[in-house]
Amino acid sequence: MLDLRGLSVAAGGRVLVSGISITLEKGEMVALCGPSGCGKTSLLRAVAGLDDPAGGHVLLNGLTPCGIGWPRFRRRVVLVDQRPVLLPGSVRDNLALPFAYAASMGARFPEEEARTLLETFGVNPERFTQEARTLSQGQQQRVCLARAFLLKPDVLLLDEPTSALDPEAVSSVENTLRTETLRRGLSALIVTHDREQARRLCDRAVDLSDFGAVQNAG
Amino acid sequence: MPVENSVIDLSTTDVMIAAALVLISGGISVALKLKMEGKLALASFRTVAQLLLIGFVLQKVFEISTLPALIPVVLFMLLTAAHTAVGRPARTYAGLGPLAFCTMAVTSLAVTITATGLIIGVDPWFRPAYLIPLLGMVLGNTMNGVSLATDHFLETLSERRHEVEMELAMGATRWEAARRPISDSVRRGMIPIINSMMVVGVVSLPGMMTGQILAGTDPAVAVKYQIMIMFMIAAGASMGSMGMVLLSYRRLFNSKHQLLSGRIRARRK
Repeated sequence: MLDLRGLSVAAGGRVLVSGISITLEKGEMVALCGPSGCGKTSLLRAVAGLDDPAGGHVLLNGLTPCGIGWPRFRRRVVLVDQRPVLLPGSVRDNLALPFAYAASMGARFPEEEARTLLETFGVNPERFTQEARTLSQGQQQRVCLARAFLLKPDVLLLDEPTSALDPEAVSSVENTLRTETLRRGLSALIVTHDREQARRLCDRAVDLSDFGAVQNAG
Repeated sequence: MPVENSVIDLSTTDVMIAAALVLISGGISVALKLKMEGKLALASFRTVAQLLLIGFVLQKVFEISTLPALIPVVLFMLLTAAHTAVGRPARTYAGLGPLAFCTMAVTSLAVTITATGLIIGVDPWFRPAYLIPLLGMVLGNTMNGVSLATDHFLETLSERRHEVEMELAMGATRWEAARRPISDSVRRGMIPIINSMMVVGVVSLPGMMTGQILAGTDPAVAVKYQIMIMFMIAAGASMGSMGMVLLSYRRLFNSKHQLLSGRIRARRK
């Protein structure tokens, strides 16, 4: 499904991750772990193509993002930021937003499915018409996760997907993430600093400390 | 009373009477210990010196009769305007100056030459007495538009980078992701001229029209000139804002549909 081949990422002239190779099978959930500053988020951004990697490349079903076309690639490999990002407008407007892009290839906004997904992620569907930015951070994060599933991607790239949630809400969102990912046959690459969460949520974990340039040099 | 189509010249004494009004203000400042008299004196001196100088320069410029001799004057105006326009935004990126110069040169000259050559029909079209003041007015407003639009665009791409990248991450093309900041920035660049057009003649009487009327021009003619000027500066400011924002967009997004926010840097004060 998704192949990371010898991927290296750098920030501020410093190599953070050096030559990592991961193959994500269909339906597989893989955690990226490691201490803060080890390049987890940078790696996820490089996989999504928001930043150029320092080396290596990414393939989706054997095709390069360039060959697929970057917007279409990103539509199939959706990144959800650690910080919930919603634009001014209602929850519905935010969920419908990506369906206006050319990469949707004319797919219509599935309103009913959107309501169901919101409910699945613990957001009352009555919030559908509420101004999205007036929701709590936790609720906004749930809307962002629901939006990513709504796009029916092949792969989800989730950066600390429960970071904005209350501790008591983490477990239910983790369950929903796991259930929905498996039910839809998606693959997921999940950044988390919490090794326990990696164990609960994912089939396997990759420790980025093992790919750190500094550690390698040492 | 002004006689139609003639100008009452101002003698040195007339100007001195006007200066006396400022002196009275200075006297009040001294009496009330406002400590504004020094600044008022300096400002008055600068007003006299700068306007006498520009009067002298304009006299020389208006005597120019060939296009090649006029080009350095136009270039100087364009360079100064571009330098000022890119100096105001809080952020910048490599290449902003040349892009601003090109944008302002193309839009301002296109608008001004259309006015002199086509609308007014000056012969030759570059007659300095028409071209230079018109270019100055268009350029001044284009400069403001370019400056405001660029400032807003760079601020949005820096401060709200995560919003733009969120859209890119969900499959938006660079154009789809940048559309909102682009339209907001162009709107920002056009606000001053739209506001001016809304209240012209109601709240404010434009300086050019007032000047023409005082100089003895038929108000009907002055009004027509002013309408043309308003349209010219509106066209210059909007085309300049759009051009500058679109060129910045091309520079700050690449063909991989990435936002190159690393190219934007804060200006050193």
